[in-house]
Amino acid sequence: MEEYNSGEEVITYTYTDAIFQCIEGVIGGTDYNQNKINQWTASIVERCLNHFVKQGRAFKYIVNCTIMQKSSAGLHTANSCYWDTATDGSCTVRWENRTMYCVVSVFAVAVA
Amino acid sequence: MSDLLKDRALKKEKKMGKDGRPKDSISTVSNVEDPLHHDDTRLPTENTYQLGPYKRHSVPVITEILKDVLTCYLQHETYEAEWSRQMTKTLCDVIRARVKELMIPRYKTVVIVNIGQLSGQGMQISSRCLWDATNDTFATYSFKNSSLFGLAIVYVVYFE
Repeated sequence: MEEYNSGEEVITYTYTDAIFQCIEGVIGGTDYNQNKINQWTASIVERCLNHFVKQGRAFKYIVNCTIMQKSSAGLHTANSCYWDTATDGSCTVRWENRTMYCVVSVFAVAVA
Repeated sequence: MSDLLKDRALKKEKKMGKDGRPKDSISTVSNVEDPLHHDDTRLPTENTYQLGPYKRHSVPVITEILKDVLTCYLQHETYEAEWSRQMTKTLCDVIRARVKELMIPRYKTVVIVNIGQLSGQGMQISSRCLWDATNDTFATYSFKNSSLFGLAIVYVVYFE
């Protein structure tokens, strides 16, 4: 049971850690900048996608990234999927720093 | 096995950076579903020799569904935290049901709904997909009133 649990941890830790590293690599240590945000979201999405593709698994991937400036405003995100729960899955990582929020969702859909 | 992984929130706070200075970013993970841990107990199915979908999704039809649902549910509402939280989930389910009603076989659906408050903040949402562009597509619609905005994205993916 212990071994099973720690194995589980490693797999999920790898996914979330990879996404976290993608985000951190692009916007870690920066403040919100309206001029660069387009480039940032594109980079984060590109990096995440490349990382998952390199694993060479038979999945189609959908990567969604939202960056929002920190203000008093609220934001809610939800997703609903119609798929085969045995073969398909998703992962959402929420990241924030002093000036902005970033939410990245990755959906992996089995090919066949 | 996947039930154990579902609905598990993993909080990871990296308080100290590499050089010992405190980091100012926090990351939270919500809902990881791992597709790798499935049992290989699927029954072998006969080959259908079908090379592609007989019927594809029509983007204007899905966009019309999104427009209809968002306008209907959000038009006269004002932003409230608790209500918005419920409404995003409700809208997701409603949109998924409406897309399912189109009865296009062999397609999987992913629906994302964002509802946010309008207060002059900057925001950017991007997505990128690795899929078969001949069979898979997406549709989006955004709605805005005086106090809130709503965005719905639907991805439809062919399953062979």
